[in-house]
Amino acid sequence: MTVANDTPAIRIQGLKKRYGAGDTAVDALKGVDMTVAPGEVVGLIGPSGSGKSTLLKCLGAVIEPTAGRMEISGEAIYDDGWKLDDLRALRRDRIGFIFQAPYLISFLDVTDNVALLPMLAGARNADARARARELLDALDVGHRAAARISQLSGGEQQRVAIARALANRPPVILADEPTAPLDSERALTVVRILNGMAAKFQAAIIVVTHDEKIIPTFRRLYHIRDGKTHEEPGEGRAP
Amino acid sequence: MINLAGRDILNGWGKFAFTGVGLGLLIGVTLSMAGIYRGMVEDATVLIDGSGADLWVVQQGTLGPYAEPSSLRDDVVRSIAGLPGVAGAGNVAYLTMQVSHGTGEARVMLVGFEHGRPGEPDHLVAGRPVTRGHYEAVADEKSGLKVGERVRIRRHDYEVVGLTRRMVSASGDPMLFVPLKDAQEVQFLKDNDTLVNERARTAANPAFNRPGVPGLLEAVQASQAQSRQVNSVLVRLAPGADADTVAENIRRWKRLQAYTKAQMEEILVAKLIATSSRQIAMFLVILSVVSAAIVAFIIYTLTVNKVREIAVLKLIGATNATIGGMILQQALGLGLIGFVVGRIVAGLWAPIFPKYVLLIPGDAARGFAAVMVICALASVVAIRAALKVDPAEAIGG
Repeated sequence: MTVANDTPAIRIQGLKKRYGAGDTAVDALKGVDMTVAPGEVVGLIGPSGSGKSTLLKCLGAVIEPTAGRMEISGEAIYDDGWKLDDLRALRRDRIGFIFQAPYLISFLDVTDNVALLPMLAGARNADARARARELLDALDVGHRAAARISQLSGGEQQRVAIARALANRPPVILADEPTAPLDSERALTVVRILNGMAAKFQAAIIVVTHDEKIIPTFRRLYHIRDGKTHEEPGEGRAP
Repeated sequence: MINLAGRDILNGWGKFAFTGVGLGLLIGVTLSMAGIYRGMVEDATVLIDGSGADLWVVQQGTLGPYAEPSSLRDDVVRSIAGLPGVAGAGNVAYLTMQVSHGTGEARVMLVGFEHGRPGEPDHLVAGRPVTRGHYEAVADEKSGLKVGERVRIRRHDYEVVGLTRRMVSASGDPMLFVPLKDAQEVQFLKDNDTLVNERARTAANPAFNRPGVPGLLEAVQASQAQSRQVNSVLVRLAPGADADTVAENIRRWKRLQAYTKAQMEEILVAKLIATSSRQIAMFLVILSVVSAAIVAFIIYTLTVNKVREIAVLKLIGATNATIGGMILQQALGLGLIGFVVGRIVAGLWAPIFPKYVLLIPGDAARGFAAVMVICALASVVAIRAALKVDPAEAIGG
């Protein structure tokens, strides 16, 4: 992996999340630390209920942590409280999401699924569509640009979802089990694509996964257990 | 920015179109109900305008001749015709009855009129006016009668010599114009058994069958066999005459009731068809509520089926306004399709209704506005549901 500069794309320090209060309170995150450099792809692994999804939701600014600090590209977005008023704009402009299922918008065609993000950010339709086609070409699905989502294979849909995540050139991409529904070959292809996109766009990608097929491909892993992360070196095999 | 609502509609246009057509049929019924009310008002207006009268003179203390029974002697017309400001006056008799003709029966309002006087139908669409003193008729074309056809009224056959258009009673029955004498006979004609019975009773009454008074019994019996009554006298005013002044003179000096055109419209619209219009208004309210419930249910269902997509949209930065706008536009789109379909079907089935259905552009415009408002309100439930969707639902766990 190449690292563009010394400022981490993501830095998390002592992040905590407590659900509920009193006797029924559950501490899902008990002080998570994590640092990911621009252009780096790291794996986040752990058993069910260990706090992976909670961490992802905190990183994605869809739930509010209880304590700690989060920075994106050196800017504090959370420091014992949100530092930004517009979390929607944060998610739109600075965080890309890739889900277990592609969750594409079924009533939009392939191009507009990708172009929607730049459009939401205020880009002109023609510019947004040009950017979408560029990304689709880069992900080898440019030939399906006018297709409806229902006409795509599972692998093609996942590539379109990756293109959508990259559409606003965010510094951070959160991928939630992106290879779960895919066979080995396609899963490794997706990892290859993620690695390529991370390098090309200098995006930090956190991949939450259970998938034994792709875990050896990460150079760095965060193992989350009982609400705490433990950094481990990965094998870094070529996917 | 992409029009999300439009794309969603295009994507599932079949489902949307069928739903719109279903809603359109309901809106068509609603527009037809409004058209029926307008038709009733129009019928009343045409009834008044078509009579050619400026004043209606009726029995004192009645709302006749259309809203209540009224009975006047037929020689009253002469004294009214001599009043200042009166250009002409004519007797008219009205009665609603069933008549038979070659191909079946028809319910009509029989109108007895005097030739050349107010009350005579002046616009014919076929044939000629009544010229003979008896057994000729002019029929409204809605009766289904044709020129040359013979129609049976009580004991006599009448030849239809002309046809009018849009001459119907306040309850929508087509008019059948016959000479006044014929109408009086029809109105007060007794059957033979009754005549024999009444003659016997009169003969047995010592007051009418006095010895030494020749001709008294015959005179009484003759008076019982004929009628000199009419329902109303229609008055046409001289140019420049004031209707209220002439009406007041008739009320004061003739001990009769006289209504101006405006007062007769008030009687017909505000009194005679008031209950019907309230009935229709109730239907309109119910249909509006049902339409709103249907739109709300459909839009809510469409929204609930897109919860995951809405969660993704919110997660990737779509604003509440974008999502709410999408749902609102879909509701309005559904309303637009429904209104267009409704207006078309209302126009198509209006001629089939037995009563006149008048669809006026103003009602259509108000209906369109109402549909849009109802659809907008109906989308509120779905919008609330969409805004409650947590973007975290797009992320597993």
